[in-house]
Amino acid sequence: MMFKRALVMACAMAAVLAMGSLALAADVIKIAVPSPFTGSAAGYGDNVKAGVVMKVEEVNAKGGVNGKKIEAVYFDEQCDPKEAATVGTKIAGDKDLVAIVGHLCSGAHLAALPNYVRVGVAALSPTATNVTISDKGKDAKGQPWSFRNVYLDDFQGTFLADYMLKELNLKKVAVFYENNDYGIGLKDAFVKQAKANGLQVVGEEAYMKGATDFTPQLTKLKGAAPEALFIAGYYAEGALIADQAKKLGINVPKFGADGLDNADYIKLAGPAADDTYLTTPFLAETAGPDAKAFIDAYKAKFKRDVDWMSANAYDAAGMIIEAISKVGPDRAKIREYLAAINTKEKAFKGITGLTYFNDKGDCVKPAYVKMVKGGQFVPAPKQMSN
Amino acid sequence: MFEQQLFNGLTLGLIYALIAVGYTMVYGVIELINFAHGEVYMLGAFLCITFIQALGVPLFPAMVLAMACCAGIGVLIDQIAYKPLRKAPRLAALITAIGVSIFLQNIAMIIWGSRPVPFTRSAVPAAFSETAFTLGSVNVSGLQVFIYALTIAMMIGLTLIINKTRIGTAMRALAQNATAAALMGINVNRVISFTFALGSGLGAVAGILVGMYYNTLSATMGYNAGVKAFAAAVLGGIGSVPGAMLGGVVLGVAETLGAGYVSSQYRDGLGYAVMIAVILLRPSGLLGKSVGQKA
Repeated sequence: MMFKRALVMACAMAAVLAMGSLALAADVIKIAVPSPFTGSAAGYGDNVKAGVVMKVEEVNAKGGVNGKKIEAVYFDEQCDPKEAATVGTKIAGDKDLVAIVGHLCSGAHLAALPNYVRVGVAALSPTATNVTISDKGKDAKGQPWSFRNVYLDDFQGTFLADYMLKELNLKKVAVFYENNDYGIGLKDAFVKQAKANGLQVVGEEAYMKGATDFTPQLTKLKGAAPEALFIAGYYAEGALIADQAKKLGINVPKFGADGLDNADYIKLAGPAADDTYLTTPFLAETAGPDAKAFIDAYKAKFKRDVDWMSANAYDAAGMIIEAISKVGPDRAKIREYLAAINTKEKAFKGITGLTYFNDKGDCVKPAYVKMVKGGQFVPAPKQMSN
Repeated sequence: MFEQQLFNGLTLGLIYALIAVGYTMVYGVIELINFAHGEVYMLGAFLCITFIQALGVPLFPAMVLAMACCAGIGVLIDQIAYKPLRKAPRLAALITAIGVSIFLQNIAMIIWGSRPVPFTRSAVPAAFSETAFTLGSVNVSGLQVFIYALTIAMMIGLTLIINKTRIGTAMRALAQNATAAALMGINVNRVISFTFALGSGLGAVAGILVGMYYNTLSATMGYNAGVKAFAAAVLGGIGSVPGAMLGGVVLGVAETLGAGYVSSQYRDGLGYAVMIAVILLRPSGLLGKSVGQKA
């Protein structure tokens, strides 16, 4: 008897819970944020999350969208293509998730994308810069389901090769690259442009994410006497390369792209970080008044300096939420809305500047150069017009 | 250049060796691959900088404190996670070890965050970052001298403990035959606890040294180091303490030379290739006991 009563109670409770969640579903609009939140890339996921949190809280504080609160649902894919494919299936299958801010890593984005294209849900990545994504985001009708509000690796690589030679007159460079879609794409574009420009590439060394010891490669490269190091990877490994290069007596300027752009790079590399030049989609010093408010609020909330990933994620979430507010929580309509932002006039005005997409969902955004000087990021004295 | 590569490889190898002995000792007494050992190594590094930053303890006392804490953590892991499974099939304990590893890694992420953090620079003596001396074409930094001195001293100490003390004799007895050792009046549980404490303490030191050497700590640092050290222990002959030391050094040198002369892309692969080659030729490892001795 006791058992039967317990069973009835459990059923009743389950029913109440189910109703509760139904009621809840009607009050909120959910967006998915797949990023790495554990594993070795978790630090980046944290940055993207911070940007999304800022935007969502800001919108909800003003009453949400058409009376409904926005809820960001975070999915951990560990920057791992295998995990991302699983997470992608899950997101695509949950109709309550109306759009996606993500993925963070290009490799993960590529792996998850087929799910989104097949089911029809738009994914706006604030950070995936790999070139091959451009051709993988379209459905049978040629409509893009993948968007990004960040420039591409080939652009960064080409830009840096030009900058190195034209602005700083460096002629011999050694290249380190992380052995993944991001690192290889960036390295290829850089090396191609460097060779076209007559910049000598004295070595190309690959490494795996999470590698800690770069002394063998650096010891080897030291003999070739490079005038610059180009690091196509992320800040954690980049900082180690800079630090170990200095210890081995290689005191040359370092160059990197968005992946190095993080205050932690300086913290980890210490004095070795000085003389590092990077392209960045976001430069606090050149940003408008809206961005200034964001930078201050961010610092107050998270007790750290804003990084470009957070800024881009803030804008990406902003674009998705704008789309929802205009066309409602409808997957197909959100995609249409994003795809229609295709000229400078219709561009979304965010803290990272204007964002508008081409027919592949890619965007053209300006690159800035900043450098590390005395343990601080400062705008590089020489900016190249682009 | 070759001498410099070799020297750097040795530095790395000595650190692997320090972690590998922890694996091999635990395997020796309870035949368990303690996959949580890499996480103890990570905790050692984090506890050390926490003592320095939060309590203002100077570097060397902080190292000792971290070592003691990790020794305690090692014993605790055994008591909570492995002891109840002593009589269970070996696979159960192995899976538990992996579980403990994931648990500790995530605890560390909750406490210290998921972002890599630098080692407290101000606490490290200035002499460590300077070149101590130059030997031919080899630049040796103060920290490298410290790493060499400390790891070698610890391994000598460990060898003495194992070979010259009563508890060391008990450890060896347990490794040979646990039932017989218990029948001879050896307190098996106390010896196992001691083994965990010793291995974990050494692991903590390795973690601190790596943190200082590369100036980076992360909650996930234990995974890679753990796998490498495990490979080193197998390469040297799992269960054999001198084997683990030799295995660590061989692996470190193989990796560094592989990255320097063959291809940096395959550095880990080359390290493991050396391990596989050794295992193929000598299935019990370089200094391991021949297979089949243990019933």
